[in-house]
Amino acid sequence: MTRGPAFLAIAVKDATETWRDGRFRWAAGLLFLLLVAAIAGGAQHQSRIAQQHADAQAAERDAWLDKGDMNPHAAAHYGAFVFKPVQPLSAIDPGLDPFLGVFVFLEAHKQQLARHRPIEDAAPTRRLGLLTPATAALVLLPLLVVSLTFSSFAGERDQGTLRPLLALGISRWSLLLGKALGAMLPLIAVMIPAAIVAAAFVFFNRPADPDAPIGARAFGLLLVYLAHALVWTGAGLAVSARARSQAAALVVLLALWFANAFVMPPLAMAIAKAISPSPSAMQFAAAIENEKAKWPDWDTRVDRVMERFLDGEFESTMAPANVEVVALIESEAAETALYDRHFADLFSAYAGQTEIYERASIMSPTLAARMLSMALAGTDDAHDREFAAAAGRYRSQMLTTLNSELAGAGRLNTFDYVRGRDLWEKVPPFDYEVPGVAWAVSQRLASMFALAGWLAIAALAAVASMSSMKVE
Amino acid sequence: MIAFLTRHEWKLLATNEVVRIVIAVFGAALVFASLLGVARARAEDTAAIPIARSMRADAIANERGAVLVMPPAPMASLAAGQSDVYPGYLKVTARNVDALVTGDQVAHPLAVASGHFDVAFVILFLYPLLVFAISFDLTAGERDRGTLRMVLAQPVGLRDVVAGKMIARAVLLGVPVIVIPILAASSAAPPLLAAWTAAVVAYGLIWHGIALIVNARGWNAATNALVLAGIWLLFAIVGPATINLIIDLRYPMPSRVTAAVQARAATQEATVQGNRELGQFLQDHPTSSNVGREGMRQFAMLQAARDRQIAERLQAVETAFEEQLQRQQRLAAWLSVLSPTMVAQGVLLETAGTGRTRFEHFNAAAGRFQAEWKAYFEPRVLDAATLTADEVRDAPKFNYADDHSVTREVALPIAGMAIAGVILVWLGFRSYRGYEL
Repeated sequence: MTRGPAFLAIAVKDATETWRDGRFRWAAGLLFLLLVAAIAGGAQHQSRIAQQHADAQAAERDAWLDKGDMNPHAAAHYGAFVFKPVQPLSAIDPGLDPFLGVFVFLEAHKQQLARHRPIEDAAPTRRLGLLTPATAALVLLPLLVVSLTFSSFAGERDQGTLRPLLALGISRWSLLLGKALGAMLPLIAVMIPAAIVAAAFVFFNRPADPDAPIGARAFGLLLVYLAHALVWTGAGLAVSARARSQAAALVVLLALWFANAFVMPPLAMAIAKAISPSPSAMQFAAAIENEKAKWPDWDTRVDRVMERFLDGEFESTMAPANVEVVALIESEAAETALYDRHFADLFSAYAGQTEIYERASIMSPTLAARMLSMALAGTDDAHDREFAAAAGRYRSQMLTTLNSELAGAGRLNTFDYVRGRDLWEKVPPFDYEVPGVAWAVSQRLASMFALAGWLAIAALAAVASMSSMKVE
Repeated sequence: MIAFLTRHEWKLLATNEVVRIVIAVFGAALVFASLLGVARARAEDTAAIPIARSMRADAIANERGAVLVMPPAPMASLAAGQSDVYPGYLKVTARNVDALVTGDQVAHPLAVASGHFDVAFVILFLYPLLVFAISFDLTAGERDRGTLRMVLAQPVGLRDVVAGKMIARAVLLGVPVIVIPILAASSAAPPLLAAWTAAVVAYGLIWHGIALIVNARGWNAATNALVLAGIWLLFAIVGPATINLIIDLRYPMPSRVTAAVQARAATQEATVQGNRELGQFLQDHPTSSNVGREGMRQFAMLQAARDRQIAERLQAVETAFEEQLQRQQRLAAWLSVLSPTMVAQGVLLETAGTGRTRFEHFNAAAGRFQAEWKAYFEPRVLDAATLTADEVRDAPKFNYADDHSVTREVALPIAGMAIAGVILVWLGFRSYRGYEL
């Protein structure tokens, strides 16, 4: 036996045995292959989509600038497309990207939600899940952890070697430490090469914006996956110490795995939807239309502004021809406020559901890790809300630029009043800066505390199981 | 003889604690998923879009248009499927562009990503796992304890014994998996329920067949359990996820983003030109309220001419996109044959009415309705007419009728699964020929 502390000897013995086991090498090799395939696939997919979006945004800018001379309000109707930037780390965790619209069309009078969720075009079988590095790390890796830990104590007990081991004078703590290390060494042997491959792919697959700071986010992802694997290690050891036999330990751990990976997400969402319902598509559209239906029509609007004009409400420099422009700007402001309010309500309904969903991670470490993973990759609903808000702000900025030009000229429907490229250039290109890692994490504090809590619980459970462990 | 052995095995299973737990978990999951599904289907209500205040033909036909709501799918309570992805309603207008406007789908993206705990989920994932959980030890334990030899000293064949054991287990899980969904969706049309049940039976047959084959290898019970767990993981979890990755890379769907830019480029000239003509008209008739009927007719004509120009140019782009999309979807569909779970999921969704077929069927019906709507309203819009209440009342009405043609489409995959299942079961029994006691 190796000289040195007892726990090290146990760890080295367990790790060596695991390594020599053909089944482990097969499983680890397969997992590694799947990880690399997922990373390569994710990176390729990500860079293709990122390129499409960057090209489209450039083409759209050209179309906007080269659309020729027209009345500024006609330009507002011509509208602008805003394409969702693709996050570099979506190669690791695409998160909600397949379930979110890819562009927003910004135009006068009405505001739209992002359209064309990729999931609409995909075959329904896509709903069965996609192999991504994140799913490999959060779903498949725990399975490897389970296979490494379920027999740690239960196996020794089944073979009757647990009592002799303790009779050697090895304390239970160094036994636990040894078993934990023994399980983690082969795990690390899989994780480190995978992390290196992932880092290489992400690095060489940098998107249109090579300065995007992703180092901290990528490091955060690695920490989350590691923490999640450690939670499972603790759980595996604790269950193994208390289970009747190694078969029982395996069944319990597999049931926990299935519940965490597959049952909890839909269940937590069903609960969230029951507690905090969001509107149906029809309800959402009808609420907006119902409010609009109560508004005065265009001619009445113009008449009312004319009355105010005749009452001397406006500056004396304003000409009667300006009345329609004032009516337009006022109705545009009312429309923007209306849509902003309804969109904010919808997004806060989403946020309410997310909050309940996140709280369910008290029941499931995998849920907490998944939320954090999406947040760090920049593909969760908080990031989507930020993008939608930026698109809304850009729309109102664009309309203000165009409308204020009309107000200055005082001519709305006089189509001999046309403007050209010089005005279109005053509308800056859409430039969206993704919030930093600190913001991303601050949106998911609940998940972070939950994962940290699970880490502590798993460690405590493993330690506690030592004192109550049955030797035979 | 097999009936006798089955009854005997049934009694044995009934006293087995593990089997009791498995059945309880399975039954509870099915009932819970059914209850969730019924609640979900009930929540799908509709809100009415307000009526137009103006009786101008344009306001009725185009601004308000006709809102077509897809009625809840016949068995949506069993499989939520794509009901949270495809647009729940369409707005029809009498125009040439934006003739069919798809409504937004506003389900929370996180909810869509999380999927549903529905009956289909329980059948696709839990059912095969539990099939394996109660049949990983068909004969290995008895053989190792030596009791199998004693049983075979009686005038019974090994394969009859195995058949009895397998049938008892198949019935044990088969009864709840067939009965509970039928109860949960009792209002659905019989052909659909029959197709659903056939799919479930065929899917079960495949997994029972796999269990038989593994059992016949002669390993001990622990090895059987490990191998079966691996097969389940591979076929039900890793397989579909990997196939989906391959589909994404090998047959990517055409980009909506690129298509939007192409549509923009194709229609730019017609849009700008059309708008200029409309603008010229408005300048000649400075106040919109008193252009007169003739003026409004001219305006409507100009608008229709612009729309036609745009629609013509848009068509080539849209047709190319749709063709590309359908080709990719066909190619992708072939790959999913590799996983029984993917095939079964496709069949269950289509049968439940929450897959692509019913959505396309609805879209086609909406397209035909649009032609009627346009034929009725377009002349009136071009005439700048103000409609009478009777005219509005007599406008075409949309009545969507579900047909059960989907049962024909799922027949082939169901037959495929059934054949695969029968072959696997047959292979399993055949390999028992060389079983060493």
